[in-house]
Amino acid sequence: MQRESSAGYITRAPRSSGLADVLEILLDRGLVIDAFVRVSLVGIELLTVDLRVVIASVDTYLRFAEAVNRLDLRAVDDSRSVPDLFEKGGEEVAETKTKGAVEGGMDAIKEKIGLGGHDDDDEDDDKERSRSGSRSRGNNR
Amino acid sequence: MSRLYLYGITRPREVPQRLADQGVSLVADDGRAAVVSELDEGPVEATRRNLLAHADVVEQLHEETVVLPARFGYILEGREEALELLALPEIEQLLERHARTCELTLRGKYEESVLAEVGAGLQPLRDAYRAQPSVEVGIALGEAVGERLAGRRARDKSLVLDGLQPLVLDVVAGEPAGEFAAFDLALLVERDRVHSIEAQVEELSARLSPPLHFKLVGPLPPYSFVRLAMPAVA
Repeated sequence: MQRESSAGYITRAPRSSGLADVLEILLDRGLVIDAFVRVSLVGIELLTVDLRVVIASVDTYLRFAEAVNRLDLRAVDDSRSVPDLFEKGGEEVAETKTKGAVEGGMDAIKEKIGLGGHDDDDEDDDKERSRSGSRSRGNNR
Repeated sequence: MSRLYLYGITRPREVPQRLADQGVSLVADDGRAAVVSELDEGPVEATRRNLLAHADVVEQLHEETVVLPARFGYILEGREEALELLALPEIEQLLERHARTCELTLRGKYEESVLAEVGAGLQPLRDAYRAQPSVEVGIALGEAVGERLAGRRARDKSLVLDGLQPLVLDVVAGEPAGEFAAFDLALLVERDRVHSIEAQVEELSARLSPPLHFKLVGPLPPYSFVRLAMPAVA
């Protein structure tokens, strides 16, 4: 049972609810006495690996880069805060105008680091192909 | 002699019917009681069902009185071992310490728009990435964003801690899980001060949201405040 605060930025729950909560709140915590401990578990490693996302990964950096680009494209040298952008509806405009280009960029990246499903060894050829791909998609918008 | 799964330690009392129906019982001795259920052979599986059952038992018992929650997966070889555990002076001290406490967990998470804020000073890199969205430039930009996000995280965490410190008995800061996670705090508070924490979180949210979202869970048993550092005795 959860409720959102009136502002929508606070989630309040009286008890841990659902697996995600339980994992974050009670896993690895609780009474342990060294002399007595008999913790006998199967499967805990899998659960903790799922939970503790590796933060400093290439994949994360590329997603950050893509997101900064997307969030920012409309206001190039502008230091307005994000709420301003939302209020002026800028987000939507930027999204429509630039999505093709950004996706094209990400495709190029994915192909280069081997996530795109291509097994082409020739890097230059690969790059060339995805660049033209991003152009044509951009023009479709 | 059957093995016992240990949920936690409490004061002797009647087990609520719903839990008794699930096989939960107490091993009591001299004002202290282990909350247990009988266990078949083999290890405890860390399944969703088992984890939620553990939380359900200790959290329901905690609604009425003190419970020291055991770590998930804690197994006793029999009643004797339960009684040995209950006889430890440290257990009595913890029961007294937590007689009127509870834990609240407060987790902070950013919405994606935080990236636009932390990326505000990275114009040259962003221009470069836009001009040529290559892996190298992408990683350089993403790394710089990640660095600034880490700084933002540290700043917000200390603002939140400063705001809460006067209201809490103790704090344990965990490692936030996930790239948009800001902080993960376990707060030990008097049961009758939960409302003042709620009010303080509202105030913090007024200052930090957006992009920061808060999740406040509790009152919970003191999961993060029952560690004992004891020498291993034979």
